[in-house]
Amino acid sequence: MYDTPASGKTAVTNEVKIAARKVNVFYGDTHAIKDVDVEIEDKTVTAFIGPSGCGKSTFLRCLNRMNDTIDICRVEGLIALDGEDIYAPSIDPVQLRAKVGMVFQKPNPFPKSIYENVAYGPKIHGMARTRAELDEIVERALRRGAIWDEVKDRLQEPGTGLSGGQQQRLCIARAVATEPEVLLMDEPCSALDPIATAQVEELIDELREQYSVVIVTHSMQQAARVSQKTAFFHLGNLVEFGETGQIFTNPHDPRTESYITGRIG
Amino acid sequence: MNDRHIVKSYDRDLEAIQALIMKMGGLVEAAILEAAQSLENRDEELAERVRANDRAVDDLEQRVNEEAARLLALRQPSAGDLRTVLSVMKIGANLERIGDYAKNMAKRTGVLVQMSPIEGSAGAIRRMSMAVEAMLKDALDAYIQRDAELAQDVRLRDMEVDQMYNALFREFLTFMMEDPRNITACMHLHFIAKNIERMGDHVTSIAEQVIYLVTGELPEDERPKADRTAIDAPRA
Repeated sequence: MYDTPASGKTAVTNEVKIAARKVNVFYGDTHAIKDVDVEIEDKTVTAFIGPSGCGKSTFLRCLNRMNDTIDICRVEGLIALDGEDIYAPSIDPVQLRAKVGMVFQKPNPFPKSIYENVAYGPKIHGMARTRAELDEIVERALRRGAIWDEVKDRLQEPGTGLSGGQQQRLCIARAVATEPEVLLMDEPCSALDPIATAQVEELIDELREQYSVVIVTHSMQQAARVSQKTAFFHLGNLVEFGETGQIFTNPHDPRTESYITGRIG
Repeated sequence: MNDRHIVKSYDRDLEAIQALIMKMGGLVEAAILEAAQSLENRDEELAERVRANDRAVDDLEQRVNEEAARLLALRQPSAGDLRTVLSVMKIGANLERIGDYAKNMAKRTGVLVQMSPIEGSAGAIRRMSMAVEAMLKDALDAYIQRDAELAQDVRLRDMEVDQMYNALFREFLTFMMEDPRNITACMHLHFIAKNIERMGDHVTSIAEQVIYLVTGELPEDERPKADRTAIDAPRA
């Protein structure tokens, strides 16, 4: 049997992609994240679970500085991507978000064509010089989003005309079009039916070969299915972080156990 | 950790499946003692009843497995709940095997009562049965109370049963060498003793499941064993 210490280190460890040290987040007077230390590995799916208001989405949004847009939000501590502080003055948040992409709870395609939805990011980041290059980027992203076959004959139709599951995969394609290194997903399947959910989960598993994926989910089963590492947040604290198999069979913290087994925590 | 699930019917399902195991445990405990008693008192009627009662144990095991499968499918238990369901299935299988051994004891008793008794053997077998029954009782108590320490104690006590078996093994060998007419009876008695020794192993396995249930890990240390009959079998 493997001995899995509480720190969550397991036999298989990939390189650390994002390292957070003593991260504290405040919304005005509210202390939303308390002294969180965590290491997000490369080529790994990390799931953040916890009850509503536990801070998991807040923490996720710190990883690509989405909280910058909220005036009363203050982030303290260190978050480093490949060893580089992402809150350093030299970092351009727009460039950072190209590297750390995000997919949201509700599919939110731009009110533009399917093609333009995907091409928008690469265009503003100057990733393509010719139309042919752009076409190639769009196709590659749509293929990686596992939606190419469904939309290849109607790329000029509006993205908003797709089904919910297709829209979400389009948004994932849009997020990967800028060649990010990390993909943040905030409840990517909560608005999808079980089949579309399975398609997105399969996609997440494929994306893991190239990216570091961080997913916030309310579905414990989904966290168990798609992730290799699981972090349990409660009242702004990172209560337990470990290998997903260990968290779901033998959590070390009683609060984790209460939460994942559906008891009042 | 809070004991109660938010969904109350989940608790009822988990309790129901554990109640089945306890019911099985009660029947199996009784079967061990009654089988030994039937041998000591040469009571064919009681032996026959032990054989018939094993059916109920088998049926309960079937129900435990069905309920466990249903719970896994419908509730997707995790952590301690998952370990409860997994351990219940294994303990059910252990109890079913112990029941089978008791049934086999009763069956051999039916043969043995037709022969002249081997002096002292029935008493020794009854003592061995009582030791195993006490272990089983403690293992089931440890299960209900989620007491890993008591389970560990049960695990260590299996060595005493092994030692009793070794002593009986030598005794039967002596009887058979003394008088070949004892061979048939002693062979049956030996199988009975061996069956009780095997019961002890299944009780040990139950105790290990309790440790897994409570701690999330199976005990790693090698369990002390005293059954050396296979290693240094005396040569006649």
